[in-house]
Amino acid sequence: MPLPAILRTSVFRLTILYVVLFGISAAGLGGFIYLTTVGYLQRQTDEVIETEISVLREEFERAQDPLRPTVALNRLREMINNRGSQVQQLGDEWFYYMLVDRNTRKVAGNLEIWPEAEVNDGWIEFDVEAADGQMVPVRASILPLIIQLSALNGPRPTTLSVEETGDRLLVGREIRELSAINQRFIRALTLGLGLTLLVAFAGGLALAISAQRHVVEMSRTTRKIIAGDLSQRLPVIGHDEHAELAKSVNSMLDQIEHLMGGLRHVGDSIAHDLRGPLTRLRTRLEALAAEPAPTRQSVDECLTQADGVLATFNALLRIARVESGAYRKAFANVDLGPIAADVAELYEATAEENLVEIRKRITDNSVVFGDRELLAQALTNLIDNALKYTPVGGHIDLEVKRSDDRIIVVVADSGPGIPAEARERVLQRFARLDESRSKPGNGLGLALVRAVCDQHDGKLVLSDNAPGLRVTMTLPAAR
Amino acid sequence: MLPGSRWPGPGTSELRVLIIEDDRDVSAYVRQGLTQAGWNVDVADDGRQGLLLATTEKYDALVVDRMLPHVEGLTLIRTLRASDNTTPALILSALGEVDDRVKGLQAGGDDYLVKPFAFSELLARLEALVRRAKTAGNLNETTLSLADLEVDLLKREVRRGSQLIDLQPREFQLLEFLLRHQGQVVTRTMLLEGVWNYHFDPQTNVIDVHISRLRGKIDKGFDKPLLHTVRGAGYRLSA
Repeated sequence: MPLPAILRTSVFRLTILYVVLFGISAAGLGGFIYLTTVGYLQRQTDEVIETEISVLREEFERAQDPLRPTVALNRLREMINNRGSQVQQLGDEWFYYMLVDRNTRKVAGNLEIWPEAEVNDGWIEFDVEAADGQMVPVRASILPLIIQLSALNGPRPTTLSVEETGDRLLVGREIRELSAINQRFIRALTLGLGLTLLVAFAGGLALAISAQRHVVEMSRTTRKIIAGDLSQRLPVIGHDEHAELAKSVNSMLDQIEHLMGGLRHVGDSIAHDLRGPLTRLRTRLEALAAEPAPTRQSVDECLTQADGVLATFNALLRIARVESGAYRKAFANVDLGPIAADVAELYEATAEENLVEIRKRITDNSVVFGDRELLAQALTNLIDNALKYTPVGGHIDLEVKRSDDRIIVVVADSGPGIPAEARERVLQRFARLDESRSKPGNGLGLALVRAVCDQHDGKLVLSDNAPGLRVTMTLPAAR
Repeated sequence: MLPGSRWPGPGTSELRVLIIEDDRDVSAYVRQGLTQAGWNVDVADDGRQGLLLATTEKYDALVVDRMLPHVEGLTLIRTLRASDNTTPALILSALGEVDDRVKGLQAGGDDYLVKPFAFSELLARLEALVRRAKTAGNLNETTLSLADLEVDLLKREVRRGSQLIDLQPREFQLLEFLLRHQGQVVTRTMLLEGVWNYHFDPQTNVIDVHISRLRGKIDKGFDKPLLHTVRGAGYRLSA
């Protein structure tokens, strides 16, 4: 796998973050442990050395005689030689002493050479060849010696002066153990830190990759969808936020697929059912083009035919639109009573011309949750339809009433009706009964009524009005 | 022959209209028809050019397509309205659903016509728009009249000459709408929208019957008919 690509991924960035975070916390923890253990041991060693020095200093100060300054020095030399030659065993570790004069020449002690290591805050660390021939680490403290002198011009000392002699006393102790512990500790800490970083790296990588895998999987599926396979769904793994996201996206895809399906259906219908009328129109225009002088009437007929195709097209789009639920968001409480009365009024004049009576039994306060325009159009289609098939002298019944929690709308005519076996079919798009082909209309009227009814959670039933067709629309009453 | 040539232009003073439409076939068709009807027509092919012309020239009406290159139709109208340009605008669109229509009117459009449309419909609506803009403020009048026809909107009384005419409520509304658009061609769709508030076309032509009833009441028995049928387009109330 090309490395630069990986550097840009979130996997890499997440992993680095893990490593840095783990590294900092591991180093912090290690440092704390180091200070509380090795630091403690070191302080203990220092205390031992300091105690030894203070013992020597007290003795030195006690032995001071201002009139004879060398007495104390001699006493100190004596003590050092004593202690240095003794096997000062304390956990197998030796004490080292060295007294030097101002020229760093050895005066007394069991060290031969004044160490040349750097003095740090009165402390010094250096290596010494031990009795067994090994080089051992030594930690030591240095005490400058101060001698009290009296004025020597009188028989009795009257004043004291304090002089820095330049003599220095070094007291050290072997720290073989401490240094070993220290080394081991540092090695352990380094190792631990390295291990921690390694684990952090591996863990971070694993976590990041598992997160990444979801995303990669999602984008792979998405690419398939873009390529046209709308049936693809994102994998839902586990219960984390990735899974939630996948679920949301999936339901979005469901909705899109549903809408696309509707659209495709409309497309199919258009392709299938508009081809006929369009072909007829084309044939007609072709014939017209062949005529030397087309008449006004034949042009008008073509226009009418084109209008018919457009009307069909619009009706199809409207049905698809209704079925997609696009109107639902504008639904409100509307009273079907006045809506039905208005539609009846719109058609009454035409009905009277045809000597058909529209008999209304409309109850106001028949409130449903819906869209005024859609309901009006559905009723218009029903009455339009009834009017088309009702013979002269017949009648159309329009009824709107409330029954418990339902609003019932009935449009019944006294026409020829529809045979029981064909009733379901007329609710489909473009389904018209063959014997009614002569009537105008695009055969989409009842399909729209059905779509409107569905959108209002209603039920549409066609039944025999003996004679005639009885359409019953049952809608839930608004609460 | 275009339907637009079948009735005279809107008057002696020439009206200016700007068509903003990127479909050259449509704009050429509309331009030809409107020119024949006596309009002075400018055409812009895209939204930017249209906006430029609409803001720099004085027009009596705009015909604005919705989906335009550079500046979208509704944005164009919104921009004009924001700069206090009140030139009446008719939106032309292939998007014909109620919410598209509402969006168009909310953006500041004055009327909305769905493609494909009959030229006569466009012309009738355009003339109604221009007239409305010119007579704005007269909506509060309490009487409308034409020749010897008088309508009292408060008492809801209709008289022709000395004779009181009894109208059904809907017939009254129909007459009021026609009087407010007197002298203009009013299409069936305009009537369905303006009088019945329906934005769909019933399959059967039910408007004709309402008109013929109204005609029976206001014209029958009088010498001079007022309510005329304009073939292939609609109706016109004029002396």
